[in-house]
Amino acid sequence: MKLTESLSFKNIKGRPARSLALTILTAIMAASIVVGTVTVTSLKTGLGALESRLGADIMVVPASAASKKNFENIVLQGSKGYFYMDRTYYDKVAEREGIEKISAQLFLASASAGCCSVPLQIIGYDPETDFTVSPWIRKSTGGELGLLDVVVGNDLSVFVGDTITFYNVRCNVVAKLDKTGTDLDTAVYTNTDTIKRLIESSLELGMNDFRDIDPDKVVSCILIKVADDHPVDEVLNDLNLHVRRTKSFKTKDMISGVSDSLIGVSGIIGILMCAVWLLGLVILFLAFTLSVNERRKEFAVLRIAGASRRKISRTVVSEALIITLGGSIAGTAAGLLIMLPFNGLIEESMGLPFLLPEAWVIIVLCFAAIVVSAAAGAASSAYSAHRVSRLDAGLVLRGDN
Amino acid sequence: MNNIKSRAGGIILFILSIALTVGIKLIFPACGPHDDGSFMNCHWAEQAVFGSGIALTTVSLIVLIFGSSKVSLGASLAMIPTAAVTALIPDVFIPLCRMPMMRCHTIMHPAVIVISCLIAVTALVNAAVIIRKKERSK
Repeated sequence: MKLTESLSFKNIKGRPARSLALTILTAIMAASIVVGTVTVTSLKTGLGALESRLGADIMVVPASAASKKNFENIVLQGSKGYFYMDRTYYDKVAEREGIEKISAQLFLASASAGCCSVPLQIIGYDPETDFTVSPWIRKSTGGELGLLDVVVGNDLSVFVGDTITFYNVRCNVVAKLDKTGTDLDTAVYTNTDTIKRLIESSLELGMNDFRDIDPDKVVSCILIKVADDHPVDEVLNDLNLHVRRTKSFKTKDMISGVSDSLIGVSGIIGILMCAVWLLGLVILFLAFTLSVNERRKEFAVLRIAGASRRKISRTVVSEALIITLGGSIAGTAAGLLIMLPFNGLIEESMGLPFLLPEAWVIIVLCFAAIVVSAAAGAASSAYSAHRVSRLDAGLVLRGDN
Repeated sequence: MNNIKSRAGGIILFILSIALTVGIKLIFPACGPHDDGSFMNCHWAEQAVFGSGIALTTVSLIVLIFGSSKVSLGASLAMIPTAAVTALIPDVFIPLCRMPMMRCHTIMHPAVIVISCLIAVTALVNAAVIIRKKERSK
């Protein structure tokens, strides 16, 4: 028998308003699962990417910068901003014990790139000592980073071989980094010589908003990889004690702030999902119970006509299953229509590392959302199905129920 | 009631087309102009979507007025490729800004894709419903 000819399907068609309302309710439940789980998974993926992206165990910044409110965003997330300290601090830090690798970075905020009206963070780094940027290069032309060569973050819509303009200076894109889900994806990395050239050009244009600095004499941040035989805390204390006017941070401690925010957001999402589901299940349960109560005489007639208890029970459950399955699929599609195209907006408004999981993870989550929502709907009708299968047809039809 | 039911597809298509046409200018427009008054690429994508939105609104009016006639069927079918092309205007036919965190990428592009897809799907369903009605009435 075709599905459209079944009794369950005809029952659904016979009550379009009720069926539509229950379908929408199930759709909301399924959409809440998709949106909630994809958001939490994306936040976790983003945090994981940020942890591995930083690469360094310790970061050293000027003591004055450590008190700045947006300091962690600049260092961790690549938000636009800058601070400087004398390069002699780099030498002082390098002399301390327990340091396996050390590299300095210099932050500049560009007025704008040629393409866009939004400023970009330009980070000067030393390719020879670097151990945090190079491992993330996804595609490059190969060779050394020359004058006016830049490495761009994944979110910039320029490709290896293209050019990008800062302060009227055309720079060659020689490499592109992997995605991290943070503002670091819109940062541009280059060497000291290029930084000098950009500063000169910005002075000529009267657009210098990061003071008159000499890239040979200043650095913004010193990144340190601690040797295996030295505890990170020991090196950290040593640096904070002996290198004055700087502040050293353990990167794991810095991430803990982001991690706490992530736990908070995940908690709120979890509570909202629970509330939607609790309410949805109660409404579904009541709707199926009331619907079956209304139709007791209809089922009694079916019993007298020869339908078995099992057949009646199955009719009620399959009716619920058709409604909830349709709702689940529609809700999952709606959830995907929100999450996939609008992920950039969600990332921007959350201000947390946000990286969509791989396609197969999203497919599994959607499949789970459909199965769980449809099963929950069918389960909420199980009690009504059990009750209706036990009714006494004679009593119901006599009206003595 | 029956009249509304037979024109439900046309009503939805009209609302979605109006949402696209008005939204692209007022709710989810592209990035603003540079300080010197010049526009970025995304502005022209916005203009093209606006034009396409006007065409979709006009055709959806035809669907709405002619209910479930053959004219309505033809208009519904015409809306499918038009909506698909509209979805492709930003970033495929007309490139957007280079930074994905800019307004044209985060708001305009996804909004145009979602509404255009909804228009295409609704037009397809409406056409299927009209064809089915015609077959039944034979």
